[in-house]
Amino acid sequence: MSTADAHAGPPVAHQSSRVSAPVLGMFLFIGSEIMLFGAFFTVYFFARVVNNAPAWPPEGLELPVLVAGVNTAILVTSSFTMHWALQSVKRGSRAGLQAGLVLTLAMGLTFLLTQMIEYTRVGFAPRDGTFGSTFYGLTGLHGAHVFIGLTLLTFATVRAFRGHFTAEHHHGVEIPGIYWHFVDVMWIVVYASVYLL
Amino acid sequence: MSTTEHHHPEVHAAPRPPATGLRRLLAPGFLRAIWMMALFFGIGLALVLGIRAIAGWHPLWHWPPVLAVAFLTTMPLGFLAGIGAFDYWTHYALGRPTRPEDHSGHGARSWRDYFRVNTDHKVIGVQYLVTTVFFFVAGGLLAMFVRAELARPGTQFFDPQTYNGLFSVHASLMIFLFIIPAFAGLANYVVPLMLGAPDMAFPRLNALSYWLLPIAGIMMLSSFLIPGGAFAAGWTGYAPLSVVGSDGNIFFQMAVQWAGASSIMTALNFLVTIITMRAPGMTFWRMPLLVWANFTTSLLVVIATPFIAASQFFALFDRVLGTDFFRPESGGYVLGYQHIFWFYSHPAVYIMMLPGFGIVSEVISVMSRKPIFGYRLMALSLMAILFLGFSVWAHHMFVSGMAPWLRVPMMITTLLIAVPTGIKVFSWLATIWEGKLNFSTPMLWALGFLSMFVIGGLSGIYLGAVPIDIHTSDTYFVVAHIHYVLFGGSLFTIFAGIYYWFPKMTGRMYDERLGKLHFWLTFVGFNATFFPMHLIGVQGMPRRVVDYAPEFANWNFFISVASFGLGASTIVFLYNMINSWARGPRATGNPWRALTLEWQVSSPPPTFNFDEIPQVVGNPYEYGVPGARHAVLGEERVEELERVR
Repeated sequence: MSTADAHAGPPVAHQSSRVSAPVLGMFLFIGSEIMLFGAFFTVYFFARVVNNAPAWPPEGLELPVLVAGVNTAILVTSSFTMHWALQSVKRGSRAGLQAGLVLTLAMGLTFLLTQMIEYTRVGFAPRDGTFGSTFYGLTGLHGAHVFIGLTLLTFATVRAFRGHFTAEHHHGVEIPGIYWHFVDVMWIVVYASVYLL
Repeated sequence: MSTTEHHHPEVHAAPRPPATGLRRLLAPGFLRAIWMMALFFGIGLALVLGIRAIAGWHPLWHWPPVLAVAFLTTMPLGFLAGIGAFDYWTHYALGRPTRPEDHSGHGARSWRDYFRVNTDHKVIGVQYLVTTVFFFVAGGLLAMFVRAELARPGTQFFDPQTYNGLFSVHASLMIFLFIIPAFAGLANYVVPLMLGAPDMAFPRLNALSYWLLPIAGIMMLSSFLIPGGAFAAGWTGYAPLSVVGSDGNIFFQMAVQWAGASSIMTALNFLVTIITMRAPGMTFWRMPLLVWANFTTSLLVVIATPFIAASQFFALFDRVLGTDFFRPESGGYVLGYQHIFWFYSHPAVYIMMLPGFGIVSEVISVMSRKPIFGYRLMALSLMAILFLGFSVWAHHMFVSGMAPWLRVPMMITTLLIAVPTGIKVFSWLATIWEGKLNFSTPMLWALGFLSMFVIGGLSGIYLGAVPIDIHTSDTYFVVAHIHYVLFGGSLFTIFAGIYYWFPKMTGRMYDERLGKLHFWLTFVGFNATFFPMHLIGVQGMPRRVVDYAPEFANWNFFISVASFGLGASTIVFLYNMINSWARGPRATGNPWRALTLEWQVSSPPPTFNFDEIPQVVGNPYEYGVPGARHAVLGEERVEELERVR
């Protein structure tokens, strides 16, 4: 230790796990998030299965399965560009990092905008029975997570363009990336149960 | 991110000088918090009105969404931004170079440092404890009002709606603002020390989780000021009552979000700290049981708390957005609320008990001068309670009209929990057995806990059995049970912990005579208050009703008088704490002659806990074992490292 006064700074904490603290923290947070989605799926299951809903969706309502399917494809693709961004920074390629992040951001924004347009045209509101409530509940909760993910990615993008992150230090890309993959995988579950089942 | 700066101990600077003039408006602090609260309130208001205008909803001004968004979400965010809880992250998000850590937000030099965003886990621990004791007193006063009203049959002081508000806010404060965060506060102070770590894994997140708490508490208390009165659906806030009741329910629903977020962030922090920051040699099987207890509790919090958050979101949406999650008339499943709520709130009773188990294990072993009996089984039984705790939630719903086939499985799992809990009780008894007992105040609280918790556990077995539960549902028998486990259980362990670590936290010794007086007053007052509730409960006196049948009048008068004595015993506690903190005799580093690491440093510990990370060489509870060591520090550590090499 180079410090002359031992009390001026903390001693270096002993690292007792191979996983780094921020990565572990993000994984635990995702565990918590999965439980939050679990509660929303539970209420969906109650309304649809336990309550024996007569028709799902109710007569006269239809969900845009195809448009949402294309939107799903966009979001899944953005996971690959995110992975590319992370691999690029690990190789030390700043251009790849920047391009990957910008593409991911663009696709995430497209997904969110498509969903907002879908809300205006879908023909029912959150207050129109449990079908409406659970539809807006699950897709809305997911939309909020896309928004959070995009916010984190924006921070990473700003920093990437300002010359931060190196092949050795890239937690600021890796951790929003983990969150982004979670958001994508969760969407596949939401899409499958809300639109397809 | 937040751990990286530990790798640069050479970067340090003097604290920044205090800002003057107009600069003070921009420097983090309460001044900035005031204008930022106004600003964020405006943002929230604009958001609500804007969305309502675009969507074409009438009327444009509607109180519930304004309350939920502008008052209870964005305004508190403005407060947090104002006091500087987000400063580092904003700085990071804007893409500026990461500031070298100057540790100016770390440690306390004067009492003022306790009123700002502080990243020192010891300061945060004290902040937690003082805040929770404040809300404990507030919640206790509400209980005094409840008992004053119940001293005689009929309605004396409060109308039924106000009375319902009183006991609802009492329970909510005691659970969300006292028991759960008081344990978090004790653990915040002690766990990093016990692990041989300089701080928690995420000090800034730690500071943020503390500052969410006063927000939640003030929210619950201020619901009394709303026209229509406080939330009055009990601390359980069952839908549809909480959906159609007064707007005070919005305060409950939002306060639970803030307290829950605080809980989850703290739990994440504990888990990461315990997994990644243990001192060399500190294997999982050498961790003190308090650390084990907080490890399992944190797992429970991370897994279960999202469910109560969701249940309150649904109830809030039903009220504010007009959704139909729990509206039976439009296809909602009203029992769904109870299922989702209890899927959190049953594990929550273990969140409110397991850290106490940890505290008691520390105290009993140290004060009996014996190794804890069955150390590994003590740790494993915590894990068993964790898993079983998720499979019993519907025992709160035996009379709710839920699917009848759920009853018996839930009864069996409920009774099964008595097995790991029994293991713990017998292990403590075996630890005391033939020990050299030191009847100091913490030990008295621990022994009081042991006997009272067993009574609460036994009435719990009664309530877990379907037929008895149906008979005693919603009677004072349930009130007696919950107070025996939460007051005689959790609260006694919190007091044990506060007295046990008081010399470590303040560097001064409390008054032993007053501590014992406090214990005996509480112990007698507690039993006189809550034991008769078993009797009137079995006879059928319903809970949560302002009035009662005249045949219960004598017992209720007795209970009310006893409860005032119980309330008065808190004055002894407060006097002892304040007076000893200011004027008590200086405490040595290790007044209890304990082996765990927090006692191997000075009282109070240095800002960064240890000059060098200690080396752990043995088990934490080898009292009375000749030559046994838990950890070595300083010179000895160097010798030990030489010897091993």
